[in-house]
Amino acid sequence: MSNSLRPYLAAVRSTLTAALTLENFASQVVERHNKPEIESSTSKEVLLNPLTISRNENERVLIEPSVNSIRLSIKIKQADEIERILCNKFTRFMMQRAESFIVLRRKPVTGYDISFLITNTHTETMLKHKIVDFIIQFMEEVDKEISEMKLSLNARARIVAESYLTAVRSISLLRCLQLKSPQFNT
Amino acid sequence: MILLEPHNVIIQQTILEKLQKPTSLDVFFVDYDNVRFHLSTPEKKTILLLSMSIPCWHELEKYGAVEILQREYGTLVLSQPEPEYHVSLQIDLEQVPKDSESQEAFVLSLALLKRNAVAAPFERAFSAQKDLEASGGQGELTQVSYRDQEQIFIQAAQDRVTVIFSTVFQEETDRIFGKVFLQEFVDARRQPSIQNAPQVLYSSRDPPLEIRHVPGLRNSEDIGYVTFVLFPRHFANKTVASAAISHIQLFRDYLHYHIKCSKAYMHSRMRHRVSEFQKVLNRAKTEVATTDRKTVSGRTMVNR
Amino acid sequence: MEVNFRKINVDQYDEDVIQESELYEADPREPAEVLEEAKQRQVAVRGLLSKNDIAGALTTILDNAPYGPNVESAKEITLQTLLTILNSTKSTEISVIIKSLSMDTQDTLMKYIYKGMGMPGWGDVSGSVLLGWHEKLTEVAGVGCIVRTMTDRRIV
Repeated sequence: MSNSLRPYLAAVRSTLTAALTLENFASQVVERHNKPEIESSTSKEVLLNPLTISRNENERVLIEPSVNSIRLSIKIKQADEIERILCNKFTRFMMQRAESFIVLRRKPVTGYDISFLITNTHTETMLKHKIVDFIIQFMEEVDKEISEMKLSLNARARIVAESYLTAVRSISLLRCLQLKSPQFNT
Repeated sequence: MILLEPHNVIIQQTILEKLQKPTSLDVFFVDYDNVRFHLSTPEKKTILLLSMSIPCWHELEKYGAVEILQREYGTLVLSQPEPEYHVSLQIDLEQVPKDSESQEAFVLSLALLKRNAVAAPFERAFSAQKDLEASGGQGELTQVSYRDQEQIFIQAAQDRVTVIFSTVFQEETDRIFGKVFLQEFVDARRQPSIQNAPQVLYSSRDPPLEIRHVPGLRNSEDIGYVTFVLFPRHFANKTVASAAISHIQLFRDYLHYHIKCSKAYMHSRMRHRVSEFQKVLNRAKTEVATTDRKTVSGRTMVNR
Repeated sequence: MEVNFRKINVDQYDEDVIQESELYEADPREPAEVLEEAKQRQVAVRGLLSKNDIAGALTTILDNAPYGPNVESAKEITLQTLLTILNSTKSTEISVIIKSLSMDTQDTLMKYIYKGMGMPGWGDVSGSVLLGWHEKLTEVAGVGCIVRTMTDRRIV
């Protein structure tokens, strides 16, 4: 683990723990509504200051707390075109399954790659520290996964190119053997 | 299976089967690059009719595909192909050689029908290069539109034959994956073991110099141009040349096949990883106590 | 039929609606005054830094730090000055220094750490310095310090 990743994750962990102090809170504006205030943002006094934790320009987390819900958005590192497309695919894949991920938001906040929306219902039915663990583990593994996918893509491309060119080259071998068959597969 | 096979497996298997036991038959099937086949027994069980429709037939015809097919299949080629198809072969199963080795060779040659048709411009360029060796200069630029928006360009020169593929990447992911693959094709030649392979050049967006004057080329982000430079050693004699043709003409399919495979692999990886995340999240859920609640009389309470 | 009236946010015409300024007590000082003070502190901090008195420098810059609207330039100067202090501190000393600060100063320090990380083009500030300070500060002041940063309306 690189040396700036640990304090980064530690900062996210402590900030998220601090933000996850949620309570049931019905809307002050619309009667019989009980919506995540961070999403409806109709009353200023229940929204708290949004906090940003950033490791560098391309990796940051935005935590927007409110009285009954928090929104956590992650910007994942994307060094080049390949990582960008892989990250995009991965987050899209997850967000399409947002139903089973309960705390996942279907759409990221602008400027970020993936967002989570945690409400008071979630903190009541689930263990708070385990939710935090999940987010942290997600952040750890998503970087790892993307770089592994990139490596495997490169490895595959190399093998594919080599075996194709080897096959074309082995034509000169063929000449030595004087094989009759017109098709030659390795 | 890393490499694709140049012959059509359906033709090969079906005909081998029919040689054992002729029955009446009427099947339609396809091959790469929008090629359609129709295999049927219109008159009697022992006479098979194999027809092929290939979108770039009028171009192939111009470059001598008919002569090549007649050379390969002789009298099997019908002068009047089946309607809606470009080539038809009539195969009398009773005339097929009986010993298994030559029988297999015969069936394989039938299965190579598409490959032989597309080989025409290549063979033409190879022989043009031989003529140019003495005189110098450049041969005619032949163009085969093997798919709707994609072409093969072949040009002979004094000491080489240049083959240029244009290929369209339908979506962003394909384009980026394709770039990675093609870059490897360019880099792979640095290895000593494959230095004899044809030189590969790759450019996205801008067409290479040789074909820049061709009208109607697209100049958009999603198009890639791949150039193979074949030297005389790659097509010195007949066997070598035919193997080279088989490989080169499948290049586009090979590339796209592996791009699709990579995407499928990425997808299965993501599926696995997401299910792992799901497990982690499920650990956060508190267990709900599900004990049966009994009434005084001993009946179970049921939530409605 | 005209249906656009449905899109009007009627709540904004509510007389009881809460205003931004009602959420906290405004800074009694004039913006120009605050700016002047920030500049003076910048000079004072340079003096303290040359004497290697980091805790003193932090207290000077963080006590009565500018907050609220209309004092953007004073906030900027304060942030710049603070970052110089943070950057020139040895990582082994951080914990000791933080322990010597008062609770209010710790809270303001936390606010500025988050502000520093939230700046979009933060040029020479390296993330690891702020993250290091954040980690140590959380160790000493606890999660409550972060909660106070979130809830305090006096945004720096």
